[in-house]
Amino acid sequence: MTDRDDHISRQRFMEELRRYRKGSVSRRHFLGVTGLGLATVALGQGLGPRRAWAQEGIGDRVAIATWPNYHDPADFDAFTQATGAYVDVSVFGSNEEMLAKLQAGGSGWDVFVPTNYTITTYVSEDIIEPLDLAKIPNYDPASFDPRFAEAGTVDGKVYAVSKNWGTTGYAVNTTHAGDRQMTTWKDFWDRTKEDFSGRTMVHDYQLTTIGNALKYFGYSFNSVDPKELADAEKLLLEVKPHLFAISSDYQPSMRPGDAWMSMCWTGDASQLHRDIPEIAYVLGREGGEIWSDFYAVPKDAPHREAGYALINFLLDPQVNAREALFHGYPVADKRVNALLPPEVLNDPILYPAAELLAPLEFGAAVTLTDPNRAELMARFKSA
Amino acid sequence: MQQSPLQDMDAPIAEFRAVTKRFGAVVAAEGLDLAIRRGEFLSFLGPSGCGKTTALRMLAGFEEPSEGEVLLDGQRVDGLPAHRRPVNMVFQHYALFPHMGVADNIAYGLRQRRPRPSGAEIARAVDRALETVRLEGYGGRRIWELSGGQQQRVALARAIVNEPKLLLLDEPMAALDRKLRRDMQIELQGLQRSLGITFVLVTHDQEEALSMSDRIVIMRGGRIVQVGSPRDLYDAPRDRYVADFVGKSNFFPGRIEGADGAEARLAVAGGQVIAGRPRRAFSEGQAAVASIRPEQVALLRPGQGVGLPVRVLTGIFLGEHTEYLVRHEDLGEFLAHVPRQAEAAQGRFAPGDEAIAAWPEGAALILGDD
Amino acid sequence: MARRRIGATLLLAPAGLWLLAMLVLPLVVVLVFSFGERGPAGGYAPAFTLANFLNLGSRGAAFRNTLVLAPLGTLACLLIAYPLAYVLAMRVGERWRTVLLVLVIVPFWTSILIRTYAWIFLLGGQGIPKLLGWLGLGQPMLINTPFSVLVGIVYGYLPLMVFPIYVSLERLDKRLLEAADDLGAPPWRSFWQITLPLSLPGVATGCLLVFILLMGEFLIPAMLGGGKVFFVGNALVDLFLQSRNWAFGSAVAMALVVVMLVTVTVYMRLMRRWGGGRDDVALM
Repeated sequence: MTDRDDHISRQRFMEELRRYRKGSVSRRHFLGVTGLGLATVALGQGLGPRRAWAQEGIGDRVAIATWPNYHDPADFDAFTQATGAYVDVSVFGSNEEMLAKLQAGGSGWDVFVPTNYTITTYVSEDIIEPLDLAKIPNYDPASFDPRFAEAGTVDGKVYAVSKNWGTTGYAVNTTHAGDRQMTTWKDFWDRTKEDFSGRTMVHDYQLTTIGNALKYFGYSFNSVDPKELADAEKLLLEVKPHLFAISSDYQPSMRPGDAWMSMCWTGDASQLHRDIPEIAYVLGREGGEIWSDFYAVPKDAPHREAGYALINFLLDPQVNAREALFHGYPVADKRVNALLPPEVLNDPILYPAAELLAPLEFGAAVTLTDPNRAELMARFKSA
Repeated sequence: MQQSPLQDMDAPIAEFRAVTKRFGAVVAAEGLDLAIRRGEFLSFLGPSGCGKTTALRMLAGFEEPSEGEVLLDGQRVDGLPAHRRPVNMVFQHYALFPHMGVADNIAYGLRQRRPRPSGAEIARAVDRALETVRLEGYGGRRIWELSGGQQQRVALARAIVNEPKLLLLDEPMAALDRKLRRDMQIELQGLQRSLGITFVLVTHDQEEALSMSDRIVIMRGGRIVQVGSPRDLYDAPRDRYVADFVGKSNFFPGRIEGADGAEARLAVAGGQVIAGRPRRAFSEGQAAVASIRPEQVALLRPGQGVGLPVRVLTGIFLGEHTEYLVRHEDLGEFLAHVPRQAEAAQGRFAPGDEAIAAWPEGAALILGDD
Repeated sequence: MARRRIGATLLLAPAGLWLLAMLVLPLVVVLVFSFGERGPAGGYAPAFTLANFLNLGSRGAAFRNTLVLAPLGTLACLLIAYPLAYVLAMRVGERWRTVLLVLVIVPFWTSILIRTYAWIFLLGGQGIPKLLGWLGLGQPMLINTPFSVLVGIVYGYLPLMVFPIYVSLERLDKRLLEAADDLGAPPWRSFWQITLPLSLPGVATGCLLVFILLMGEFLIPAMLGGGKVFFVGNALVDLFLQSRNWAFGSAVAMALVVVMLVTVTVYMRLMRRWGGGRDDVALM
C-alpha cells in the first residue's frame, strides 16, 4: 500500500453513509470512497471554488450514473460548491444494468456514462437525444481523438461526448506466475486450469467474459456465431470449477492475494499496479477489447440544465486531468494530455504499445444485445 | 427422599429452624422457628410482604434460606432443588401447562418419576385424581376450555396425584369469585381430611384462614407473631396486630394504672378505666390497648342497665346479627354486634338513638400497643 | 349490522388497496410477462408462449442451490439463535439484557452490504484461513464456497431469528417452569417438555421469516459465493438486469413464488401437526 492518505474524515464518511443509505450511491462507490473496500482513494483536497461553471439557476441537485472508481469525489464537491447543485452518484456494474434501468423509465438520472457500443441502442430505443453542444462550451471536437470520440455521433448528430477510453486485459500477480511469461488469452484460460486453479476471476459481464473466451480460439471478440459461441461456452464451463469468482469487483480479491489473476480494465490495472507493483497488466496478443466511455443525457432527465453543467465542468481540461490522475484511465482530449505528467503518458498500462493496440476491437452494439450471448452467460453462471 | 422406616407419627412433618431469608439488603423472613404437624391444615396469614410466601417457597425449594435449616420428615432439605423434594404446590394462578391437555397436566409429575410408572398406572392415578376433584371425564379437555374453578381443580389434582408429604397452596383461591371460593374452601378442607396429606396454605384472607385451618401462623414483617388454632388466636391474640388481623375488634388505647398476673387496669380517655386480662407483663404507666370484640358489646335501652352512654350512628344488618357503630363522648366510635334474639327482645336501634353499651367482666384483653 | 359492515369495509379499504396495488397487480404483471417473449433489445414483447416455463430447467441448479441452502441456512440460524435468545430471555439480568439486545441489533444499523463485505475479508486468505494456518490447521479456501454463503446467511439473518424466539421465551410464564420443577422435572427435562414446546411459535415465526427471505436472497450468494454459489435470486437479477429477458425472468419469478407457496404450506402443515393442532404454532 502507499503512504497516501487512504483514510477519509469522519464527517465525510457519515455523509457518504447517508448518501449510501438513501440509495443514491451503490456499494462500490461507497466502499471505494470510504476505503472500506480497500480501494485506495486519493482525495484531491484543497480544491476550492474557482469560478462558476454554469449559469445561475440550475437547481440544487444533479444525478449521475457511472462506473466504480471512475471519479474523484472531490471534483463533485467542487461542482457543488461552484454551482450549489448536489451530486447524487449511482454506480453500476454493467451497461446492461444501465440500459435496463433506463428502459424501465424513471431512472431520475441527468447524466450517465454509456460505453461506445451501447449508444446506437440508446438512440434506437429513443432513450437519449442529441446534445445541445452550446451548453457544453468545454467540449472542443477538434481536440478529441476521433477514434475514441466518434461512437458518440450517430447519423451526424452528437448524442454523447467522450469521457475516457481504455482496454480490457487481465491483471496477474506475477509472484505466482513462475518463469512462464503470460502474454495471451490462451495463457489466461490454460493456466487457470493449471497453476492458477481456484485463483482466477472473470467478469460478471457477458461482453468481456465471452469475448475473451472467444479470443482463446482466435474468434472475433464480438462474435455471435452460434458455433463459435458454443466453443466459448464449452471453454467457460470447463474453466468454471477452477475459478475463484465470477465478479466485476475484483480489486478487493486481488489486493489481499485471494485471487491471483483477473480480467481487468485499464484503470483498475493502474490502481492495482500502483499499490502492488508485482501485479502486471497483460493485453492478450490475440486481441481483445478496446473501448471508450461517454457522457450522455437521458431524454427524461429531471434536471437537464444541471446535467449539462456537470458534463461541462467535468470536461474542463484542468478537472479532467485531475480525474485522470485519480482513476488512471486515459483521456481522448489533447488539451488534457498536455496537462498530464510524462510518466503517466509513458505508462504502458494506460497507453499500451501500438502492436498490442492494433488487434483490439471495439465492442459492437449487437454484442451487447444478442440474446444468445446473454443466455450463454446466464447458463455459465448458474451451471 | 425415601421415607424413614422409623417414622414417628408425632414428629413434625416439616420444620423451620432459625431460618432467615435475605434478598440483597431486604430481609424477607427472619428467625423462623416452626414445626408443622403431620396431617394438619396450616395457614400462613399476613398482609402482602409479610414473608408468608417466602416461607412457602422455602418449603417448596424455590428459595434457599440464607441462614437456618429446613427439614422435611426429619431430614434437611435446604440445598435440595424443588424437583427432588416430595412436596407439591398449587400455584396462585394455577400455572397449568397450556400446551398439554388436562390428563397430561395431571400425569406430569408421575411421568417424572424414575423408574417411570407404566401408562396404565398413570392413567389409573389420573382418573382417581380427577374423581377426587370431581372432574370425572375431563381428562381429554384442553386447559383453555375450562372455567377458572375447573382449572383450579386440575391444579389441585396435578399436585395431589403425586401423594406429596406436603401440599403447598399459594393463595389458591385469589382468582375465584366469592361464592366459588366459599365452596372451594369447604371442599379443600374435606379433601385434606380424606387424603390425610398435610396442607400448608398461604393467604391474606383471614376468613379463609379461620375457616379452613387447624392452625394459623400470623406473620408480620418477616417474623412469626403468633401460632395457634383459629380459636386461640381469636380469643387470646398476642398483641393488637393479631387481634386486628383475626376478626374485628374495638381498641381503646390508654396507660396501665395497675397490673398483676390476672388483671390489668387501663386508664383510657375521659378518666374511664377498663379492666381486663393482660396478655403480657405490664408496668405502671406503660402504653397499652384494651381490645373488646364487638360481639361482646351489648347494647341496652337507656335505663335498662349499667354501662357507657352512647349514641347510635349506623346499623348494618348482617343476618344473624346487626353491626352498630356507636359513639361515646370520651371513648369515641366503636362497634357492637347485637344478635337477632336480643333485637327481637328489645327492638332495633335507629341512628340517633341513645343507648347503653356494656360488656361482661373479663371480656376485655389488655394488649401491647405496637 | 349493515352499518357495522360498512364501517369494517372502510377500515379495511386502505390495506386492501395497498395490497391490490403493491402485491396483486405486480403479480398479475409478472404472470402476464411470463407468457411473453424477450424484446429485440431486451425487455418484454407481448406474446403467448409456454417456452419460458419449458426453459425453467436451465435454471435447475439455481433452484437446487436455493432449496438446499435456504433450509440449511434457516436451520443454522435456528441452532445459533435459540441458545442466544434463551440466554437473553432466561439467564441474563434486566440491565445486561438491554445491552445485549442492542448488541444483537447494532449490526442492523449499517447496511447488510457493508457487513457482508467485511466477511469477504474475514473469510478471505488474509482472514480466518490465515489464522487457521498459524494454528497449523491448514489454510482451507473458505470464501466463494457454499460454506461462506452459509456464514453470511447466519450472520445476516440471525437477528430475524433471535427476536421472535426471544419474544416467545420472554413471554413464557416462568411459573410454568417452577411448576415443572415442583412436579419433579430436572431443568433439562423441563426445557424439553415446557420451554421448547411453548417457544415453538417464536421458532416457527423466525424460521418462516428467515426461510422466505432466504428464498429470494441474492446479495449474500453474489458477494460471498463469488458468483459461483447461485441462488434463484441471482438468476432473477441476471435475467432482469443483465440479459434483460423480462419474459423468462417473470417465468422464473412465478416458479419461485410457486415453490415458496408449496414449501411454506408443507411447513405450516408440519408445524401444525407437531404443535398438536395449535394454530398459534403454525401461524405465529
